[in-house]
Amino acid sequence: MAKSEQATKTGAGQGANPAPAAGKRKPRKSSALYWTSAASVVGGLLLWEFAGRFIVQKALFLTTPTQIVDATIKLIAAGELQRHIVASGTEFIIGLVLAIILGIAIGFAMASDKYAKRALGPWVAAFYATPTVAISPLIILWAGIGIWSKVIVVVINAVFPMIINTEAGLRSTDKQLVEAARCFGCNRLQIFWKVSLPSAVPFLFAGMKLAIGRALVAVVVAELFGSRAGLGFLLLQASDAFNMPLLFVSVVILAVSGMVLTWLVGVVERLLMPWRYTSEQE
Amino acid sequence: MGAKLHVKDLHKSFGDLQVLRDMNFAVEEHEFVAIVGPSGCGKTTLLRTIAGIETPDSGAVIIDGKPIKGPGADRGFVFQQDSLLPWRTIWKNLVFGLEVNGRLNEASLAEAKKLLQLVGLSGFEHFYPNQISGGMRQRVNLARALALNPEVLIMDEPFSALDAQTREMMQLELLRIWQQGRKTVLFITHQIDEAVFLADRIVVLGRRPGWVKELIAIDLPRPRDLAVKRTAAFGAYVDQVWNLIENDVRASIAEDAQIPAA
Repeated sequence: MAKSEQATKTGAGQGANPAPAAGKRKPRKSSALYWTSAASVVGGLLLWEFAGRFIVQKALFLTTPTQIVDATIKLIAAGELQRHIVASGTEFIIGLVLAIILGIAIGFAMASDKYAKRALGPWVAAFYATPTVAISPLIILWAGIGIWSKVIVVVINAVFPMIINTEAGLRSTDKQLVEAARCFGCNRLQIFWKVSLPSAVPFLFAGMKLAIGRALVAVVVAELFGSRAGLGFLLLQASDAFNMPLLFVSVVILAVSGMVLTWLVGVVERLLMPWRYTSEQE
Repeated sequence: MGAKLHVKDLHKSFGDLQVLRDMNFAVEEHEFVAIVGPSGCGKTTLLRTIAGIETPDSGAVIIDGKPIKGPGADRGFVFQQDSLLPWRTIWKNLVFGLEVNGRLNEASLAEAKKLLQLVGLSGFEHFYPNQISGGMRQRVNLARALALNPEVLIMDEPFSALDAQTREMMQLELLRIWQQGRKTVLFITHQIDEAVFLADRIVVLGRRPGWVKELIAIDLPRPRDLAVKRTAAFGAYVDQVWNLIENDVRASIAEDAQIPAA
């Protein structure tokens, strides 16, 4: 017995088994690396400001960051900017949420039914590769210049990466895991909820990131073709008036939204998939 | 017919390919039986049939006198290394079988806690599989199967992905754990010395189609430790099994290399 006790200890201590506390260490970000991004952004802005003030000197050709900030403040004071952001934001969110739900549903159908896959496959492939923003004018003709035409444009742009990634994710589920789950007595529904879906989550996030990018572009382009409000509308107004600071207000807000959204997806990703972000041992 | 697990007259073909032919063997209660065979001996099909996810053309898998109908919690499975769900913590993986069989209750969870201790992983509840070593993952796999308190424990090459030293340690560990509850075990392996070291009896399979070539009783005293592996008796058993499958192994290697077998 003494021998097997010893064996246990050796067994438990073999290899590089970490002490329980070691696994919870957080990956430390080097502060020098951290500041590199900040320095790059600040440096770029300073260079831009300098070029706009002393080299080009004509607001029409090159507006400066300070002028953009100025224009932004004025627009907020007039209550205009809020109105545009709310309009575009509403279209974006409704469209994106619809695209995600539809995309997961269609992707699921294609992954689980071979007839659905055959029937929908060619359409998805064709539309995924087509820059569908190009048919925005047609959609506006059909659905008017209210928010719904924009929502439709967002959906038809953002839904395809969602479909493709959902399908790929569900299909790529490790067969060994499915087999093991079946041996444990899982039924089809349990296999979907407890094995296939969780294993597809990383793919869903990849699809979502692509969908967000496409949805942002879709909102702006659709608004350019016909709208009464929104950041695309603001963009069009500004360019018609050759008001470059105003044009850049819109552009900057779009850029910042893109960054914030990507960051947000990252945060949610970490919350939902902690196993992907834990440091590997051994 | 007092056997715990009885594999009876199994036949299975996929199209023209006969995979299992008249497969017959039994595992007594508390017995540790190892299955050894060259590749092509139909062990995957046999395993899936015992699991109840493959239906035989004829014959039956009988547990406690009752033929199985599909998968069930009376059989616990330990697979190769990576059958843990990566998005579940060690604890959540451990109780997976209980969860899907609707058996999460205070008693079963307390039992699961004890199992975690038994396999030496207390304190690792909140770790994810990618944070622990291969040997530790296999302990979780074992505990997950034991959590269901199955009638028969079926292990499918559980240590094949581990390095040689870890594998030896895990063999010892398995014996230690087995001594405590004396579950009925069916252990499938390629490793002849592993089979001899662990088992009370070895079922030697032939290939294409899979059939039972020989049953060998391993008469080595228990509890066993690694020193057993250096005894003459141990070596004789290994030789005996090897002689039985040597030609089959050659044939399967030749086939893999696509050289016509002599």
